[in-house]
Amino acid sequence: MNCQKFESVVSELARGQMMAAELRGEALAHSDACDDCAMRLRDEQMLTRGLHSLAADMESLEAPAMIEANVLMAFRARQSVVPAPVVRRHSAYWVAAIAAMLLIAISVFVFRWSNRPVEDNRQATRQEEPQQKPQPVVEPQLAQDSTVPDDEVLPQRPKPRRIHPASLRRPASAQVANHVTNEIATDFIPLSYMNAASLQDGGQIVRVQLPRSALANFGFPVNMDRYNEKVKADVLFGVDGTARAIRFVQ
Amino acid sequence: MNLKNDLSDTELLRSMLAGDDEALTLLYRRRQAGVYRFALQMSGSKSIAEDVTQEVFLFLMREGNVFDPARGSVSAFLFGVARNYVLRRLRVEHLLAPLNDDSDDDVPLLQSGTDLCPLEDLTRAETIESVRKAVLSLPAKYREVVVLCELQDVSYGETAEILGCAIGTVRSRLHRARALLLAKLRPVGEFEEASSATVKSARCFA
Repeated sequence: MNCQKFESVVSELARGQMMAAELRGEALAHSDACDDCAMRLRDEQMLTRGLHSLAADMESLEAPAMIEANVLMAFRARQSVVPAPVVRRHSAYWVAAIAAMLLIAISVFVFRWSNRPVEDNRQATRQEEPQQKPQPVVEPQLAQDSTVPDDEVLPQRPKPRRIHPASLRRPASAQVANHVTNEIATDFIPLSYMNAASLQDGGQIVRVQLPRSALANFGFPVNMDRYNEKVKADVLFGVDGTARAIRFVQ
Repeated sequence: MNLKNDLSDTELLRSMLAGDDEALTLLYRRRQAGVYRFALQMSGSKSIAEDVTQEVFLFLMREGNVFDPARGSVSAFLFGVARNYVLRRLRVEHLLAPLNDDSDDDVPLLQSGTDLCPLEDLTRAETIESVRKAVLSLPAKYREVVVLCELQDVSYGETAEILGCAIGTVRSRLHRARALLLAKLRPVGEFEEASSATVKSARCFA
């Protein structure tokens, strides 16, 4: 063994680490022969003893009891706070998602339900608009009877519909249309001095009451027993203020 | 408690993570002294050692599930965590430079050697203090090897796991650290005498 090889193993030798017996013997033999390496080994052994003394002196040291109390307190606090936070978070998301879906479904339902009467009203308005054939058509049921407005001869009354509050905010024309749907009316009959084309110009409808005898003027049969009673009629006035058509209403 | 005394560190850790505070108590009492001494020998400060010990076990209860038994022991895991906390504290407090002699927080000289005569006791205490200061003055990467291998008596293999390096690196660092320590202690002139005194004192009462 030479000094360089001795230097590589001197720490292990001084620390008493496990090493091959042959290597250990060679190193010790070299230190006996070489003064420098002997001194080097002596220094290393003294350092080892110094470090062992330091370790032995500090062996009894440990953390203060306060640290253990703090750690235990933190542990118990953590255990009391932690219970299944992940599950709660997920359940909250699910509840929020279901609530949102319910809200959307209810909104869609309400929107569609509120639009239904509007569609019906529009259809009714279209029916009463004068672009339809302005012929004095009387429904067959009415023609068979002697008195048009009589209850007993009226066709089956349509079911009254609930008026949605939203429809109350609609313009007056729409309210008239709703009113019309609850009534039975003849088609508009052009007055004698107007032609059918002039009815398409539009105008304003005015509700009036006429003597039942007025029915006879338009070719409707009149029940003489109820001759004195009044009948309702809608008169269509044109933009120039002249009466253009009339229909009878019950 | 008696039954749990027989459990390994890994089993205690598992129980602790399941919410067993008794397991934490046992594990703490089993490992706190080593962690505390390591932090104290690395930093030379009692307050840092106490803080680090507490932080290590708080970390264990928070992140204990990252421990992998296949990679090493619980003890090595705790030393590794303690090392990181110590180095962080030292970095913050700029204590990596050589320590001042008059620090109030320094570890006091230990009251040992009760069987020695006062002069020898004083000499031995001075020797220990010299070695302690020499260790604290080492660069961190050498100091941690000396603390683990020489003062904590941790094997090379476990030290390599703690430091995250090869065993050969541990060996070479320790060799270099010992050379640095000798260089620091030799000029004082008292190291050799004190060490001899320790040996002589042992002979005195043999």
